[in-house]
Amino acid sequence: MSHTHTTSNFRDNAVAALQDNALRAAMRKATDIFIAMRVNAVSDIPVEDWKDKASAIRARVLDNLPAYLDEFSATASSAGAVVYRAKDAQSARETVLHILKDRGVANIVKAKSMVTEEIGLNDYLISRGMSVVETDLGEYIVQLAGEPPSHILGPALHKNRQQIGRLFEEKLGVPYTEDAEELIGIAKRILRQKFFEAQAGISGANFVTADSGSIIIFTNEGNGRMVTTLPPLHIAVLSIEKVLPSLSDLPIFIRLLPRSASGQILSSYMSIITGTRKPGELTGAKELHIVLVDNGRSEILRGEFRDILKCIRCSACINVCPVYRMVGGHAYSSAYQGPMGIILTTLLEGMDKAHSLLDATTLCGACAEACPVCVPLPRLLAQLREDRVRKGFTPVMERMAMSAFGQALRVPAIFHAGQAALRLFWPLAQGTVANGRFNGIAPPAKTSFRRRIS
Amino acid sequence: MMMEDKIFLFRARIAWSGAGVKLVTSPEDLQPAISEFIQGADSVFCPGITEIEKSIVIPPEARVNDYMHAKITVEEVMAGIAETGTIVCVSSSGKALQASLVPYHHVAVILRENIFADLDEFFARMNSPLPTNITFVTGPSRTGDIEQTLSIGVHGPGRVDVVIY
Repeated sequence: MSHTHTTSNFRDNAVAALQDNALRAAMRKATDIFIAMRVNAVSDIPVEDWKDKASAIRARVLDNLPAYLDEFSATASSAGAVVYRAKDAQSARETVLHILKDRGVANIVKAKSMVTEEIGLNDYLISRGMSVVETDLGEYIVQLAGEPPSHILGPALHKNRQQIGRLFEEKLGVPYTEDAEELIGIAKRILRQKFFEAQAGISGANFVTADSGSIIIFTNEGNGRMVTTLPPLHIAVLSIEKVLPSLSDLPIFIRLLPRSASGQILSSYMSIITGTRKPGELTGAKELHIVLVDNGRSEILRGEFRDILKCIRCSACINVCPVYRMVGGHAYSSAYQGPMGIILTTLLEGMDKAHSLLDATTLCGACAEACPVCVPLPRLLAQLREDRVRKGFTPVMERMAMSAFGQALRVPAIFHAGQAALRLFWPLAQGTVANGRFNGIAPPAKTSFRRRIS
Repeated sequence: MMMEDKIFLFRARIAWSGAGVKLVTSPEDLQPAISEFIQGADSVFCPGITEIEKSIVIPPEARVNDYMHAKITVEEVMAGIAETGTIVCVSSSGKALQASLVPYHHVAVILRENIFADLDEFFARMNSPLPTNITFVTGPSRTGDIEQTLSIGVHGPGRVDVVIY
């Protein structure tokens, strides 16, 4: 089941996550595998050169986004699609609902789409009496569990096979098994029936191309192909920044996206869907509706954080983030996790709602190196943190401490006195006030660095 | 890129993707290569649209006319891309792409002159109007959604064999 995300306090969530040993083991395993695969996949290619090229194309898209969207709307329409612009989450949900209602659709199969998580589409449709079944295996697992995805690519990577086995036993009434092949077989049988019964398929898109009006979808399981070719009605819901200028821009992104995401040279399937079924064709939905979701992005585009819209949702930055690797995706309480998730969510939901997410970074810079389209993630994170301080969203104690520290830095005598006091009271503070929380933190040096070099 | 180099790279990448690959060099070897895959099968679908497809003999008792009830689909695919080990299925000329999706085993025949060296070469040849659906298939259906352990054959075919002809 998807959730409309209202960001709760990251610090509280993180504390809870760190006490969950099963979660931490699953996170470590999953992110280690993702990182190793990606590093291997980019080891024998001119990746820096490709990144520059891809980054330049994404920058060009942002410079001309309204024009490319107009072009895409025109080309997709002439290929037979109906294109909608939704300015916010509410209008996107209503647009999809109307399309489905007008056609009396009750059963919907869905391929993974993060923007539908962002706008809370599933809950909205389900609460209006429709059956919406996620068909990506990971999405299916978290939907059964009544949880949001914890990773944009691997929605269920926070679960181990024992947990999945018990979930299937409880929700599907099948005998308990923790054999991955058996679990997959169970899901496959159930979902196959859903594919054949569905009157509509809802998908996202990895890219759309302005010059040809095409939707491009990468999947490994084949559920994306099922969702877009078996039901007579296909609705693609995507955010506006997914557009690329031309079909001829695709190769560089085909090379970078799967490598950055899962370390594959190419995912098992990539479909380029252009309009509806033509006369003489046996493939393609009879109706194709494309909902372009803005939901605050036009405003982001006008501001100083616009580079986050270059993001192609590969999840490389998420996998390398030391904070994500520790706490997992649910601690973020948002549709997007990790560095790109912090930035995008803060901008989409506003500093007042999402500021606590800005605690979820060490500013270590690992994400900058992993990003295939050169989004300056650490810079954006630092800028947002400054913004947070300016707007007064940091905790009172932190503000007071920082302000005192700032004063001390301006007056050497106070600073030195502070250092001396710290050295003196450290053992005492560690034993009493901190109650062990300072364990692992190195004690203050006996001689300060300044003393040693002067 | 020379034809031999293209085929060499194509074969290596297909093998990497987890699909099977066979090279057929003379017309009389094509049917035996296909027969090996469909031997003993009870439900084989072949669209019979292209010349190659028309020439392939499927035992009548095994032949089905609806891919929804087939365990194997044998078909010619429109293109191959050596760089990625991809076969390209398109919806033009009346091909149902679901035929390479629903059955468990996909046997794809590709003419060697339809192998492109890389992605750029392929996309340079894609002119509008595009067919409704162009699908790149690179290996069998797979998932890593349970503990990041690779499993084959989720929604799509668990087995893909490419016959280069």
